[in-house]
Amino acid sequence: MTEKFEPRIVGFLCNWCSYAGADLAGTSKLKVSSSLTPIRVMCSSRVDPVLVLTAFLRGADGVLIAGCHPGDCHYDEGNYYARRRFAVLKKVVEGLGLEADRLRLSWVSASEGQRFADVVNEFNEKIKKMGPNPMNKKSSL
Amino acid sequence: MNDKKNNSDILVIGAGISGIEASLMLSKSGRKVHLVEKTSITGGSVIKFEEVFSNMECSTCMVAPLQQELLQDKNINLLTLAEVKDVKGSFGDFKVKINKKARYVDMVNCIGCNACFEPCPVNLKNDFEEGLSERKAIYVPCSGALPNVPMIDTENCLHFKGKDCKACQEACMFEAIDFGQKDEQIELNVGAIIVSTGFSTFDLKNTPQYGYGKIDDVYTAFELERLYASNGPTEGKILLKSGKTPKSVAIIHCVGRDKTGYCSSVCCMYSLKFNHYLKSKIPEVDISEFYTDLVIPGKSHQKFYEKMREKGTKMIRAKDAEVTKQGQKIAIKYADGSGKKTSNTVDMVVLTPSIVPKTDASDLAKILGITVDDYGFFKEKDKNVSSVVTTKPGVFIVGCSHGPKNIQSSVSQASAAVGKILSSKEGRLE
Amino acid sequence: MNRKIGVYICECGPNIAEKVDIDRVIEAVSSLDDVAVVERYKLLCSEDGKKFLVEQIKKHGITHLVVAACSPREHLKTFMEVCENAGINPYLFQLANIREQCAWITDDKDEATKKAIRLTKAAIGRVHYHASLDKKQIESNPDVLVIGGGVAGIEVSLQLASPDRKVYLIEKDSLLGGLAKNFEKTFPDMQPCSNFIQQKIEDVQKNNNIEVLADSEVEEILGFFGNFEVTVKKKAEDNCIVNLDVGAIVLATGSTLFDPKDLSQYGYQKLENVITSLEFEKMNLSGKISLKNGKTPKSVAIIHCVGRDEKGYCSEICCMYSIKFVRYLKDKIPGINVSNLYSDLCIPGKSYQQFYEKTQGKNISFTRVADIKITKKGNQLNIEFKDEKVNKNNMSVDMVILSPALEPTSDTSRLAGFTRISQGNAGFFSEGHEKLKPVSTSTEGVFIAGCSQSPKSIADTITQAEAVTGKIFTSLVPGKKIEPEVKVSHISEALCIGCKTCLDVCSYGCINFDEAKKVSVVNEVICRGCGNCVAACPSGAAALKHFTFNQIYQELKEAVQ
Repeated sequence: MTEKFEPRIVGFLCNWCSYAGADLAGTSKLKVSSSLTPIRVMCSSRVDPVLVLTAFLRGADGVLIAGCHPGDCHYDEGNYYARRRFAVLKKVVEGLGLEADRLRLSWVSASEGQRFADVVNEFNEKIKKMGPNPMNKKSSL
Repeated sequence: MNDKKNNSDILVIGAGISGIEASLMLSKSGRKVHLVEKTSITGGSVIKFEEVFSNMECSTCMVAPLQQELLQDKNINLLTLAEVKDVKGSFGDFKVKINKKARYVDMVNCIGCNACFEPCPVNLKNDFEEGLSERKAIYVPCSGALPNVPMIDTENCLHFKGKDCKACQEACMFEAIDFGQKDEQIELNVGAIIVSTGFSTFDLKNTPQYGYGKIDDVYTAFELERLYASNGPTEGKILLKSGKTPKSVAIIHCVGRDKTGYCSSVCCMYSLKFNHYLKSKIPEVDISEFYTDLVIPGKSHQKFYEKMREKGTKMIRAKDAEVTKQGQKIAIKYADGSGKKTSNTVDMVVLTPSIVPKTDASDLAKILGITVDDYGFFKEKDKNVSSVVTTKPGVFIVGCSHGPKNIQSSVSQASAAVGKILSSKEGRLE
Repeated sequence: MNRKIGVYICECGPNIAEKVDIDRVIEAVSSLDDVAVVERYKLLCSEDGKKFLVEQIKKHGITHLVVAACSPREHLKTFMEVCENAGINPYLFQLANIREQCAWITDDKDEATKKAIRLTKAAIGRVHYHASLDKKQIESNPDVLVIGGGVAGIEVSLQLASPDRKVYLIEKDSLLGGLAKNFEKTFPDMQPCSNFIQQKIEDVQKNNNIEVLADSEVEEILGFFGNFEVTVKKKAEDNCIVNLDVGAIVLATGSTLFDPKDLSQYGYQKLENVITSLEFEKMNLSGKISLKNGKTPKSVAIIHCVGRDEKGYCSEICCMYSIKFVRYLKDKIPGINVSNLYSDLCIPGKSYQQFYEKTQGKNISFTRVADIKITKKGNQLNIEFKDEKVNKNNMSVDMVILSPALEPTSDTSRLAGFTRISQGNAGFFSEGHEKLKPVSTSTEGVFIAGCSQSPKSIADTITQAEAVTGKIFTSLVPGKKIEPEVKVSHISEALCIGCKTCLDVCSYGCINFDEAKKVSVVNEVICRGCGNCVAACPSGAAALKHFTFNQIYQELKEAVQ
C-alpha cells in the first residue's frame, strides 16, 4: 500500500528577516505548503551543520535555511557564514547518499511574503518529485 | 521664588524614521514620549522604499523592528490620526492641544485580520500607493502597516455619508468597529518638543514641460518606488500602462530645481538606486540618466555609482529637458553639455522632483513659535552652533522638516535633538 | 525538575478556531510528558485573556507555559509579561505560531490541524529544556574618552562634561582646534570660524570636568562598554604613561588632506604658487594673500576634485569651500580674477545653492572642465583643460589653489585595531549601520563623529557630535547599571578545545581567549546573541542561551514527524 507522499520539510528561519517574511505571507493570506515546519532562530548563522544533518538523519525530506539578504544581516555578517556552511553542507549531504538539492538556502526579507510563499511551494514540489528521504526506510536513530 | 515646572515628558511630532528614532532613544532613558502622527500608521516616507542606497538594504525590514519596538514600548504614547493645534508655554513647561481624529476601529480589539476590507463596497485610489492601486473606505494604507489596524475614511464611507451600510462591522468577529467613536481634543504637558514632520515633493503641475499627468508612462520617483515594491500595487512588476515591459527608461534629475532654488541632495543617489531596481526586474533594459551635476558625496556613494555604470547606464548631462509623446514612445528633447539640441526616445520616464516642505509647515511653525526659512523649511537658530536648535528654546527640528537630506543625516539629527534635551537641566535655555 | 506545563490554545476569534480543529490539538497534546493542563481560550492577548492565564498559572501551580497562538513577533513580549506577573521566569515560556504560519496559509483544515499539532508538540518539547534566565546588571563608568581635539571632539566634550561625568580629551598635537582653527570663516554664512573655535577651546580649558591631554596618544584600549581601560602616552612629559578608566570612547580624529604631490598634472611642490586649500586657508588667516615673490596675485584658479579619482569618492565640502575662497579673495583683493575649475558642482542642501548664486560677478567664473594639466609659463602658471564642448582650452594665472580630497588621518588604522571596528573601503571608521546607526560602531560603547566617519561640513560635524552625546546620555547614565542582552552565548570551559575558531567568527569581538586556561570566554555584556560561534564551534562547547541544541532539537523532532 502506498500512501501519498507528504514531504516533511524543516525550515530554519531567522527572526529578523525570513521569519518576518513568512509571517507576512500569512498576514497576506497567501497559500503556502504546510509541509514546511518553521523553526525560529535569531540568525541564520545559528544553524549548526549538526542540526541540518540531524534533521536529515531523523528523516527530514528537505531542509530550508532562510536568512536576510547579503548586506542586511541584523548581526552584520551572520548570513555570510550561513552561506559558507551551506556550501560545505551540500557536499556532506551528498556524501550521506542524499540528493544535495534536499538542502536549500534562500534569502527572504521581511517584506517578501510572496517570495517566501514561492520559495516554499517550489521547494515542496521539488521534494515531492525527489521522493521521500531514503533514510526513512532505514532504522531510525 | 521660581516654581516653574520642569516637565520631563517629550512631544515628538511625526512618526517617520526621525520621530521613531528620537522616541525610542528618549524612552530608553526613561522619558515618557507622546508621539503624534497625522496618518494612521508609523514609518513616514522610508517605508515607501523597497530598498535604500548604497547597500540596497530592504527598507521595510530595516524599519519594521523599530516600529514594532515602538508599538510595544510602554513609555511611548502613540497618537495616530492626530495633529498639534496649539502650543503655549516655554521650555520645561509646554501646554499642547492636540486634535485626534477618530479611527472608528478599536485599537485593542482589532487583531489585524483584514476581514473588514472585502465586504466594503467603496473603491478609492490609494494615496500611499501614489494612486496606482485602490483601497476601500475602511483600510490600512499598505501591506505590513504598523500599527496593523485599519481606519475609516469618513469622507467616502457610505455609513458616514448617511447611507445604511454596516458591512465592515458585520464582518468583524472582534467587535472592533465602532461607528460611535468621537474625535478627541487632548491636552498634554511636556517639557520639550521635537518636530520631525518630514517632507513633500515638488508639485509637477508647475513644471508642465515634463509631461507628468499628460503623457502615459511618465512616473515620479515615488511612483516607481511603489511599482518596484514587493508589497506594492503590482507586487514589484515594472510595466507600462499598456501592460508591456519597458525596454528603455529615462530618469530625469533636478525636476523643479529651477523653481525651488536648491539641490535636494538625495536624488542623484536614488536615481542610481533606480538603475538597480530596473536592471533587477528587466535585465536588458536600456537606462539613461539626464542630469546637470552628479551630486554623490559620501565615502561609499561613488563606488555605488561606478557599479551602476558598469551595468551600461548612459549618463547624459542635459539642460532644458522637455518630454513629449512620439507615437508609442516618449521623446526627450534637451541641450547637451556643449549646448547642442538633441533628442532621445524611450518607453518610460521617471522624474526626480525636488524635496519641498510639507504644505502645512508654515502653519505648524506659527503654532510652535518657530521660524521658517526662505524655502519654507523649519529654520535653525544658528547653523554654526546647532542644526536642530530653533529660535524657540525647547523646540527642536530634525530630518527633512529642517531641509532635504538622506536617512543617515536625519537619524543623526534625531539623536542630536535627544542629546540636547537630555543635557538640559531645569529648562535651561539653549 | 518537577515540571508542570500549562498549554493554552488561542482561538483568535475565528482566525484560528475556524481554520484549525483545536479540540484535536488538545487531544493530541494532553497526554504528553509533564503537561498538567490544556485549555482553549477565545483571545489570549486581550486583557481578559491575560488575566485568565495568570489565574491559571497560579491555580495549577504551572512551572512552564506554552501558548499556541499568533507569531512571537506579535505577542512574545505580551505573554512573557504574563509569566512575570504570575511569578514564573519569563523564559520558561514558548509561543507556538499556529496563526500566521499555520492557520492563515492554507484552507485545508486537516492540513492546518496536523501542522498545529506538530507546532504545539514542538513547543511543549522545547519548553522542557528551557532554563530560567535572569536580567543582568553591571556597574558602569560614566566617564568618556574623546580622542581628537577638533570641532567634533570639542563639541562632544563640552556637551557631555558635568560634575557626575568626567571627559578626557586627547589630542596628538599640542594645540586643540583640528583643521577648523585655520579657517577665517565658514560657509555658507561667512561667519567667523577661527575666533569661534578659539572661544570654544577656552571653554574647554576652563571646564573643570574636562581634562585635556595634549601631545598625547592612545597606546592601548582594553575592556568593554561601561568598563574600558585606556593607556595613554604623554609625549610632552617624557612619554609618561597614564591609565584612564572610562565607560565610552569617542573617535573624533577627523580627516587630513590628500597629498597631491604624486599627481604630476597639478605640479604641486614642483611649480611655485601651486598650493593646497589648507595652505591657502592659513595664508588667508594670516591676513595677507601673496605669491612666493611677495607680490599680490592678480589671477587665481581654484581646482576642485583633486585626487577624487584616486580616492574613489567625493569629499562633499570642497566645492563649497572653493566658493568660499572666491569670497576670501574678492574681499581682500577686489580686482582679482578668480576661476573655479570643477567636474561636478556639489552644492546639496537648502542653503548652498544660494551661496553659489551670490558668489558670481565680474571676474568670477565657474567652468566645468576635464583633463587638467598645469605647467610653468614665464612668471605665471598655464592651465590646459578640456571644456564642456570638449574643446582644448587654456588659461594663465598667477596662483593655483588645489582642493584635494579628504582622507582618514594616519592613526585611524591603529585606533580601529584597538577598538575592533572596521574601516570601510575608503579607510574611514565604519559606522554601525549606514542608515540607522551613523555615530555608533559595531563595538558597543565606541562612537565616531565628524570627519573620522566621513568628510563633512562643520555644521554636520556638530550635528554628529550632538548625536553622540544623545547616544551616550541614553546608554551610559551616571549611577545607572547597564542591562545587557540575556540570550547570550556561553562557552563551557570543560568542552572548549582552545581552537579559537569562535574568536574569528564573532562580528562584535566579544570572545576573548584566556591564555592561562587556554579556553575561549564570551563577554556576556557585549554578546548580541546571534549564535554564530555556536554553529562554528567544533567541540560543542559554545551554547546559545534560549537557543540551545537540545531546545532546537525538540522542535526538529516534531517537524519531521
